[in-house]
Order: sequence, then C-alpha cells, then structure tokens
Amino acid sequence: MSRRQNPSEFLKKIIGKPVVVKLNSGVDYRGILACLDGFMNIALEQTEEYSNGQLQNKYGDAFIRGNNVLYISTSTK
Amino acid sequence: MLFFSFFKSLVGKDVVVELKNDLSICGTLHSVDQYLNMKLIDISVSDPEKIPTYAFSQKLFRDQVDTQLLADSCRKELAEAKAKQ
Amino acid sequence: MAEQPKKEVVLNATIEEPLDLLRLSLEERVHVKMRTDRELRGKLRAFDQHLNMVLSEVEEIVTTRETDEDTFEEIYRQTKRTVPMLFVRGDSVILVSPPVRAS
Repeated sequence: MSRRQNPSEFLKKIIGKPVVVKLNSGVDYRGILACLDGFMNIALEQTEEYSNGQLQNKYGDAFIRGNNVLYISTSTK
Repeated sequence: MLFFSFFKSLVGKDVVVELKNDLSICGTLHSVDQYLNMKLIDISVSDPEKIPTYAFSQKLFRDQVDTQLLADSCRKELAEAKAKQ
Repeated sequence: MAEQPKKEVVLNATIEEPLDLLRLSLEERVHVKMRTDRELRGKLRAFDQHLNMVLSEVEEIVTTRETDEDTFEEIYRQTKRTVPMLFVRGDSVILVSPPVRAS
C-alpha cells in the first residue's frame, strides 16, 4: 500500500491526521497535526500531554518548537 | 530585528537578566548587539548569598586586575601573532 | 497555459504554518512551557521566528523535584512569582499554547 516516499512527503501526507509527537525529554503529545514548517515546528489541535504514559495536560492548540522534537508518528487514535 | 530594536529602546533603563544557570543580574542596559548580547553597567546580583562566586569575581576584577596591563598584553600578543603570519 | 495551483484566499485567521498560531495569539494570554520545568502564563506582546517573546503580566511557575533521602519519595515543589514585563529567549521554549479560540 504505502509507496516509497521521502520524509517530507510523509509529513505532508499526515497533516490533519492524529499523531504522536515525542520530544527529547520523553514527553509525548497526542493530537491532530494542524501543520508544520521546515524547522519542524509543529501546530497541534486537541493536544494531550503524556509523561510516563500518564495524561498530564490538555491544550486546545499547541505550538511545539521544532528543536525539541524526537519523532512524529501517526497514531491509531 | 524586532527584539534588537526593542532592546535598543531599553538602553539606559534598569533591567534584570536571568541566566540559564539561574544567576540573576540587575543593572543598567548599556548596549546590545544583533545577537542580543548585552552589556550591563552598575550591576549587582540579586541574591549574592546564594551565588557568592560572582560577588567575589566582581571584586576580583575590580581590585586585582591591572586592566591597562591586560589590554597592553593583549595588543602585544595580537601583534606577535600577526608578525608570525 | 500551465495549470496553476489554486490560490486560496488567505484570511487573517487561517493557519498555514505553525507560527500563525502565535500570530493569532498576540495580545492574548498564552501558556508557555519552558525547559528546566518552568511554565509561564502571560499576555503575548511580541515574538519572532526564534520564539523569542515578550510577555506581560507574567506568572512564572517553577517546579523543582527533590527526592526524600529516607523514603525515596519524590517531592515536587512549585514556586510562583509574577513579573510585569518579560523577554524570553526562544531557545528555552518547548511549547506555546494559545487561549482556547472560538472557531
């Protein structure tokens, strides 16, 4: 199904989808990927913050500064 | 450029700069450059009890260092480095 | 004529890039999560692409974690302080959350 693609094609494709963003600190953010830019700054909607698997916080919208990002993955939620 | 201008407009005003190592320095903003490096004058640390190092080094710099000699030495070394090229 | 991608009308309120989220939050209270367990709440007065920011009427919450030497219990302490006007260097910023928008 998923055709070979480069990272930026992947990122473009998952806009509007539920994602998990993991930061270098280990904290996870789950939400809908609104958009991102070349620095990997990220805008998330309906954001939930998880630390050690526990829900810590909810944000309507969240801007994440790209330098903190470890990975972005699609989520089944 | 926004914040460069912002800080230029604050020159002469009293500010507190808090560093990433938790050191707070109060002083008068003397100058700022495009990287937002700042020079403060008439400084003091807000909690010298907590961080005595700086209070000490400040005194050290004021009393113990012959700044004229230091500057002359610096020029000399620069001149020597240039001569070697 | 070559097919041109449709240019959408860019409303002031559209979010095309992440920084638009902050642009729409100017003059609003925002929540900023910083490195070293600091959180700020204040009115966003200005920002740039580095995420340098000027905030006013700021409440800063610093969380410190200590481990009890006998019970190894982790103790979290929060200290609050208020700052009337604050410039934050962008490199310490992790997350900025605007107020809940009616949209």
